[in-house]
Amino acid sequence: MTGRARARARGLCRSPESGKLGQSQASSWNHPTVCDSEASASTDLLGTDRIPQRLKGGVSAGDGAGNTLFQRGGKTWNSFLELGINTREKLAHVRDCKTGSSGAPVKLVTNLFNLGLPREWHLFQYYVVFDPDLASKRLRIALLYSHSKFLKKAKVFDGTMLFLSEKLEEKVTQLSGETQKGIYVTITITLISELPSSSPMCIQFFNIIFKKILRKLSMYRIGRNFYSPSDPVEIPQHKLSLWPGFAISVSQFENKLMFTANVTHKVLRNETVLEFMTDLYNRKDKSHFIETCEKELLGCIVLTRYNNRTYRIDDIDWSVKPTDAFQKRDGTKITYFDYYKQQYDINLSDLSQPMLVSQLKSKGTDSGEVRIAHLVPELCFLTGLSKRVTSDFRLMKDLATETHLNPIRRQQRLSRLADNIQRNTEARFELETWGLQFGCQVSLTGRVVPSEKILMQDSICQPMSAADWSRDMQHCKILGAQPLNNWLIVCSHRNEDAAESLLSCLRRVSGPIGFLVGKPKIIKVQENTAAFIRAIQQHVNPDIQLVMCVLPSNRKDCYDSIKRFLSLDHPVPSQCVLARTLSRQGMMMSIATKIAMQVVCKLGGELWAVEIPLKSLMVVGIDVGREARTGGRSVVGFVASSNSRITRWFSRCILQSAKTDIADCLKVCMKGALNKWYKCNHGFPARIIVYRDGVGDGQLQTIVDYEVPQLLSSLRDSTSSYSPKMSVIVVRKSCMPRFFTEMNRTLQNPPLGTVIDSEATRPEWYDFYLISQGAYQGTVTPTYYNVIYDDNGLKPDHMQRLTYKLCHLYYNWPGLIKIPAPCQYAHKLTFLVGQSILREPSVELADCLFYL
Amino acid sequence: MPNRRASRNAYYFFVLEKMPELRRRGLPVTRVADAIPFCSSDWGLLREEEKEKYAEMAREWKATQGKVPSPPGKQKPVPTTLLESVNQLPSEQTQNVSLPDVSSLSLKSDQAVLGSFFYFLNIFSHGELPPHCEQRFLPCEIGCIKYSLQEGTVAEFHRFIDPGDVPRGFRFHCQAASDASHKIPISNFHSGDDYATVLQNLYRFISPNQSSWPPVYCKSDDRYRVNWCLKHMAKKLETRQELEILTVEDLVVGIYQQKLHKEPSKTWVRSLLDVSMWDYSSNTRCKWHEKNDILFCALAVCKKIAYCISNSLGTLFGIPLTEAHVPLQDYEASNSVNPKMVVLDAGRFQKLRVDSPPFSNSSHQEQRSNMSTCDYPSGVKTTGKTSNVRGRGITRLLESISNSSGNFQKLRNCETPLSPYMPQKDECKSFSSLS
Repeated sequence: MTGRARARARGLCRSPESGKLGQSQASSWNHPTVCDSEASASTDLLGTDRIPQRLKGGVSAGDGAGNTLFQRGGKTWNSFLELGINTREKLAHVRDCKTGSSGAPVKLVTNLFNLGLPREWHLFQYYVVFDPDLASKRLRIALLYSHSKFLKKAKVFDGTMLFLSEKLEEKVTQLSGETQKGIYVTITITLISELPSSSPMCIQFFNIIFKKILRKLSMYRIGRNFYSPSDPVEIPQHKLSLWPGFAISVSQFENKLMFTANVTHKVLRNETVLEFMTDLYNRKDKSHFIETCEKELLGCIVLTRYNNRTYRIDDIDWSVKPTDAFQKRDGTKITYFDYYKQQYDINLSDLSQPMLVSQLKSKGTDSGEVRIAHLVPELCFLTGLSKRVTSDFRLMKDLATETHLNPIRRQQRLSRLADNIQRNTEARFELETWGLQFGCQVSLTGRVVPSEKILMQDSICQPMSAADWSRDMQHCKILGAQPLNNWLIVCSHRNEDAAESLLSCLRRVSGPIGFLVGKPKIIKVQENTAAFIRAIQQHVNPDIQLVMCVLPSNRKDCYDSIKRFLSLDHPVPSQCVLARTLSRQGMMMSIATKIAMQVVCKLGGELWAVEIPLKSLMVVGIDVGREARTGGRSVVGFVASSNSRITRWFSRCILQSAKTDIADCLKVCMKGALNKWYKCNHGFPARIIVYRDGVGDGQLQTIVDYEVPQLLSSLRDSTSSYSPKMSVIVVRKSCMPRFFTEMNRTLQNPPLGTVIDSEATRPEWYDFYLISQGAYQGTVTPTYYNVIYDDNGLKPDHMQRLTYKLCHLYYNWPGLIKIPAPCQYAHKLTFLVGQSILREPSVELADCLFYL
Repeated sequence: MPNRRASRNAYYFFVLEKMPELRRRGLPVTRVADAIPFCSSDWGLLREEEKEKYAEMAREWKATQGKVPSPPGKQKPVPTTLLESVNQLPSEQTQNVSLPDVSSLSLKSDQAVLGSFFYFLNIFSHGELPPHCEQRFLPCEIGCIKYSLQEGTVAEFHRFIDPGDVPRGFRFHCQAASDASHKIPISNFHSGDDYATVLQNLYRFISPNQSSWPPVYCKSDDRYRVNWCLKHMAKKLETRQELEILTVEDLVVGIYQQKLHKEPSKTWVRSLLDVSMWDYSSNTRCKWHEKNDILFCALAVCKKIAYCISNSLGTLFGIPLTEAHVPLQDYEASNSVNPKMVVLDAGRFQKLRVDSPPFSNSSHQEQRSNMSTCDYPSGVKTTGKTSNVRGRGITRLLESISNSSGNFQKLRNCETPLSPYMPQKDECKSFSSLS
C-alpha cells in the first residue's frame, strides 16, 4: 500500500524521536513498576528512601555474582545481564584492535560524561544478621543507620545486605543496639565481597545512585525515565504539555566509566478525565453516554499529579462516589473526599463523579489476587496521544518542533543537567560520599566513510545526497524487470476513474525506467470486502502475474483478507493502493513511479546495486516480530541474498509457538537460502554475513548460545567439504549515545556514513556505531552494530563499509536507510505476516519481495 | 495405548504440545520420552500462569483416570461427567501418534461415515481472563451446526449470550479482546439471552428428546474455552454438563484413516481446516456479523469447518457437493481455476524463463524441489501440500489413486527425493547446547 509504504519510508529517514511519543505511553504501560502504592489503599508507606527496597529482590538471593541481582526491577535491569558477555576475546583478528582507519576523521561531541573514581576504588558488600531476628525491615534499617559507626558514611542497606564505600576494620563486626521497645539486639556484619568498579554489580549500583541524584534534582521517575514537572513546555493550542526529562544510564565504556543522558519527553494532556467526561456528555448523545465514555476512556493511561504516578483505566465504577468510604490498610474507614484532603490537601470539587478503576500490577509473581485502585477522575490527567490525536497533522507538527530537538538545543539541555548535578549540594554530597566525580562531556573522533555510487543498468550515478537519490535516478534504467503483461486491477465502481488515471500514469512512468507494463484486466466491484475477495477468487488464475487493488478505505480486515488470500491460497504478488492516495492529482506521477518500482520488486526484479568488492558473499537479515493478536506466536523473518550483486532475495517466514524472541528455525531457513544460492550461482557462497535485528535487551547471551550454533550447524552438514566463513552481527536501532559534530561554530548532525568505533564502544565487544540515515529534523540516532561471531576475518574497516553499502539497497526507498537492507526486508516480512497473513506465506513467493 | 502406566503431569502435556514443532526442526522424536530433554529449558521459561494451562490438562487427565485430583486452592472443577466412560480423553488423542479413537463414532463402513451426523460447536468469549481469576471466560456468542457428509449442513443454531457482569477491573481487557475479534459490545447489547435459555435451547437442538448425547466437535484450539463455557453455563442452570466435546482434527484424521487406512499428518489436517477463502461467503456468518461486516462469528467458524470437511472429504467419498456443503458460488469460481493450479505453476515459471533471460538460472525442476523443501523442511508428510489450494491437492492426488488406495505409500516415497533435508542428528547437538 503506497500510503503505508511512504509513511514507513518517511519514518526511516526522519529522526527516530518520532516514535518516542507513542512509546512514552506504551512504555509506561509495559512497566508500571511505579505504581506500587495506590490512592485508595493508604499510602503511609510513601517512599522516603526507596533504594533499599529496590535492592531487596535480588540481593537476598544473589551472592555477589551479579547476574541475578535486582530481579524486581524487571526489564530495567535486563541490559545489565549483558555485561558479563565477552564475545571479542574469541575473535582473534580484533582482539588487539577493532578500530578502522579509512575515511575522513570528524570531531564529535557526545552525550556521555566522564565519571571519575579514585584508583583502587571498591564497593564493600556485607551480610547483616540480627539477633534476635527482627521481622520488620524498617526496624532493621533504622537500627543499623542510627548506629554511630555508620553516621556520615556512604551506605546502602536493604535489610540483609549492606554496601559501603569504605572497608570496616574487621571482617566480622559485632554491634549492638536497642529498639524503642527496649529490646537489646546484637548485629553481626560480615564482609562478603569487595567489588571493583567495573564489576556488573557496581555498575548497577552506580545507576541506582544516579537515579537517587536525579530524584534530588526534583525529577520524578515515570516508567524508566526521569521527568521534571517543574518546568513544563506548554502547547496551549492543543491542550498539551510536555515534561522534559532524561533517560540515564551509567556503564563501562571502552576505557572508562561514563554516564549517559538522553533527552526524552513525556506528553501530557492538560485535561483531566473529569473534563473529558463533561465535554463528552455535552457533545454526544446523552443516552449512550456511558457506552461512549467507556469506549473512549478504557485503556487510557492517566497520571495523577499528586504523586506523579501513572495508571491504566481498566474500568469505570459508576456506583461509587467520592463521598463513599473505603477501608484503609490499617482497617479504618475514610471517604475518598477526606482521604485526599488529609493526604494531599486536595479539595475535590465534584462530589458526584464516578470513580475510575485501575488494576495494579501485583508486586510478587506468586500472589494471584487482583489488586484494584479507585482513582478520582478530577485528579487524573490523560497522557499519551490517542489515535485521533496522532492523525492530526498540525498537532503532530507542533509537537515535533518541541520534541525533536536539534543538536544545539539538545546540547543545551545536557549541559543544564550537568550543571544541575554539579551545583546541587545534595546531589554533590551523594556523589562525594561514594567517591564519584562527575566529569566533563566526552568528545571523540569518528570517521566518515566514502560515499557510494549507485549502479543502474546503463549508468552509474553519484547521488547528490545519499539520503535520497530519487531525483538523481529519474532518467536511469533500472537493472532488470520482468514485463508485466497479465495482470488485474480490482477497484470499486466509485474509484474507476482513479484506477484509470493510475494506470495511464503507470504506463507513462514505467517506459523510461525500462519496465514494460501491458494492459490489465480491470474488474469493477461493489465497495465491500466480500465483493473484492470474490472478484479476486474468480479472476485469479495461474498466469496472472500481479493483482492490484484500489481500496476504498484503509480498513484493515479488507487488506488482510486480500493479502491472506493472495499469499496463501493463490500465491500471486499483490499491490494495494488506497483510493485516497490517488486523489491528489499533482502527486500522481511521483506516486505512480513509486508504485511502479514497488511492482517491479514484487515481480522479482532488481532496481539498483552498489559495488560489492567481495565475490560470492551472501548477506542475511533476520528479524523477529510478534503476531498482532495478544499472546500470539512470534514471527521469524529470514531474508537472504541470492546473487553476488546482492540484488535478488530469498525470503522465508516462520511462525513459532514459543513466546520468546529467539528464533529456532534458522537451520531450515539457512538451508533453503543455501539451496537457492546453489541453484542461482552453481556453487555455495564462500562468505555469509548475518545481520540479526529484533534482539531485546538482555538477550545477547541467548543469541550467542543458541542462534549462532544453529546457523553454524546448517552450514556444516550441507556438503562435507563445504565450510564457508560466517559472521553474525547484532543490529540495534535504539541505543543511548548520540553524536553531534561541530561545524561553522554550531552543532549539527554528523554527516552520513559516520562510523564511531572507539571510546563510546564496549571493551568486551567488537562493536561500532554507524550513522546511515539523514535526519531532517531533530537529532539522528546512530545504529549500533555488535559483531558477535566472525570467522570471515574481515578488517573492521571492511566490515563497517560493507554494512554501510548494505544500507543503500532497500528498494522501497531511493536512499540510505537506518539498518542494512536485509534487516529491513525481514522486518517488512514479519510485519506483514504478523499483522495480516498470520500463516507462513506460500513458498512460491519466496523469490520476490512480495511484502514490500 | 502407550504411557498408560505412568502418571501424566503438566510437563507431559507441555512436551506433547511441543512435539510437532520439534519434529519440524528435524529432531528424531517419536514418543514423549524422546522429546523430554529438549523441552526442559522452554518449560523453565514459562510463567506460572502459562504452566497452569498444562496443569489443568493434567488434572483433567487424572480425573478421567478415576483418581481424585487434588486441585489445591484452585478454583476449577474438573470435567468429569461423560468423559469417565470414554477410555481416553480427546486432548490425549489429539496429541497421540497412535490411532485416534473413532470407534465411538461407530464408523464401521463408508456408508456409516457418510450418514452419521456430527455437531460442530463454538462459543465466543469476551477475551480470556488470567488463570488466577475464578471466571476465565465471558461467553457471548454460540454457534452450532448439524452436519453429515452426505447431506451437508442440515440445521444450525446461533444465539448471543448475555455474558453477565464483567469482573471488576477487567472491562478494558475484555473490551480490547472483543474489539480485536468478534466486536460484540460488552454492554448495551440487548440481543443476548441468559445462560439458562441458551443452554436449554442448545440441548434441545443437539438432542431433541434429551436421551442420547451425540459427540460434539470443535477445533482443538477452542476446546478448552468451549468446555469451560459450557460448564460455566451449566452451573448456572444447575444441571450437569452433558455434552462431550471432541476435536475436529481427530474427526478428520479418523475419517481419513477409515477411508485410506493411512493417517494424515496433524499439521496437514490443521492447515486443511484453517482456510480463509470462505471468510466472506454469503450465508456463512450470523446476521449481525454479516450486517456489520465482521469476520469473526461463532456460527461462521462452525460452518467453515463444515465447508472444509465437505471440500476435502467430499471428493474423497465421491459425494456430489451441494449448496448445503459449501457456498457453491465461490466454489465453482475457484474450481475452474484449479486444474491449472495443479501443474504447480510450472507454466508460469517456464514462461518467465523464456521471457527474461536474467532470471533463467533456475529450471522448473529445481523450483519445484525447492518448494517442497521449504514447505516441509524435514521432508515429512508432504502429501498434498504440493498443491496450494486449500487442500484440493490431496483430494486430487487421492482421486488419482483412490482405486488403489494401497499405493499411498508409493506416493510418499516419490515425494521424498525432492526434499533432500531429512532430519539430521546434528540438529540435536545444536539444540542441546542451549541447555
